[in-house]
Parts: sequence; structure tokens; C-alpha cells
Amino acid sequence: MSSSVFELLASFTNPIEIGTDPISMLWMFPLLAAVALIYKAVQLRVMFMRKYFREVFILFVSISIFIVLIGIVLHAVVYFMTR
Amino acid sequence: MSKNNSTDHSFFLVIVGLLSWIVPGAGHLIIKERKRAAVIFVTITGTFLTGLHIGSVGIVNPEGAPAWYAAQILVSPLVFIPAGITKRSKHSGDLQEMHKYDVFGHPESIGQIYTSVAGLLNLLCILSAVYMAHSGRGELIGEEEDE
Repeated sequence: MSSSVFELLASFTNPIEIGTDPISMLWMFPLLAAVALIYKAVQLRVMFMRKYFREVFILFVSISIFIVLIGIVLHAVVYFMTR
Repeated sequence: MSKNNSTDHSFFLVIVGLLSWIVPGAGHLIIKERKRAAVIFVTITGTFLTGLHIGSVGIVNPEGAPAWYAAQILVSPLVFIPAGITKRSKHSGDLQEMHKYDVFGHPESIGQIYTSVAGLLNLLCILSAVYMAHSGRGELIGEEEDE
């Protein structure tokens, strides 16, 4: 096996560094994309690719906006409760 | 439906379900849903590997995090491999080896969420493949066509 394959396998033996800052919240977006891709893949009766990706995009944006709004509301609640 | 046909049909559904578990998307492939199968394979495998890359093999921990493991195992039986690596390291007896794959904080939680969500999404795909096979997809409407 070449060294690059070993390097690739080794990358799965050590966790990557993720700080406890607000930037780490961005990790939710790839997961939301995965949820949207799978949900639409099992929901659509026939897979027309253009329609599929349009629906995935709409679902992804809808969930993202909703989660961001919930985040803002919760942040405001915490702000008013602790000031 | 005769008894023989009914047995064959049930056996086919079991095969579709098992294939979907062994390789994400394979159940859809066998019922001629190629695009769906490709999307499922790439998404499930990609999500699981991303989680494994974020948190390392240490996040697949059957003894330390059994609830997460129950969801992770739904991705594929291949998850037994990282589980075995973690388990063997924990039982090695050597202190350094025992903590070799320990992972804490955000990498642990984000990695576990990614890998477990991949497993739960695959469960949805397994059910979808079995339902489609049961309702005769691939036979009733023919192969999928593009616009």
C-alpha cells in the first residue's frame, strides 16, 4: 500500500480540532444537506434530477432558516433572562 | 398470490432490506432505482466518513456509548471494524493503548451526531427500499428516466 493510503487511514485515528466557538455551529450545515438529500431521495416518486436538486435546495434552505431563527429566539431569551 | 409466490416475495423483501443495510443504496439498485441508489450511497457513506474523520474511530464505542453505537451500526455491518478496533484497544491492558482512541469535547459530539444520523438516515432508506420492492417498483413503472 502506498504512503498516501496510510496517511488517509491515519487521518481517521486522530480527531480534528474543533473549538467551542460560534464558528463550530457551521458543522450543522453539511448534516442538514445530507438530511435534505436523503429525505427527498426517498420521498420523490420518480427521480427527475433537476426537480430533485431543486427540492433538496428548497428543503435545505427552509430547515437552515428555521434553525437560525430558533437560535436567534433562544439567544434573545437567554439574553433577557440573564441581563 | 400463491403460497410459493408469497414466500418468494417475502424472501426478496428480506434480501432487499439486508442489501440496503450491507451497502447503503444497494437495495434501491436491485429494484432498478439507480439514481436513487447512487445518491443514497454517496450521501450516507460521505456523512458517516465525515463523522469518523471529525471524531476518529474512537467515537464508535460499543461499551462507552451504546446508544450512539446502536444508531451507527445501522449504516453497515462494516461499522463492526472501527468498533472492534476501539474495543480491542480498551481491553489491551496497556494504559497508553487503552486511551489511544479517547476523544472528548466537540469532535466527539459532532462526530457521534454525524455517524449516528447517517445510520438513522440509512434506516429510512432500508424501509424505503423494502416498501418500494413490496409495491413492485421497477416492474410497475419501469426504469427511471430523465426529463
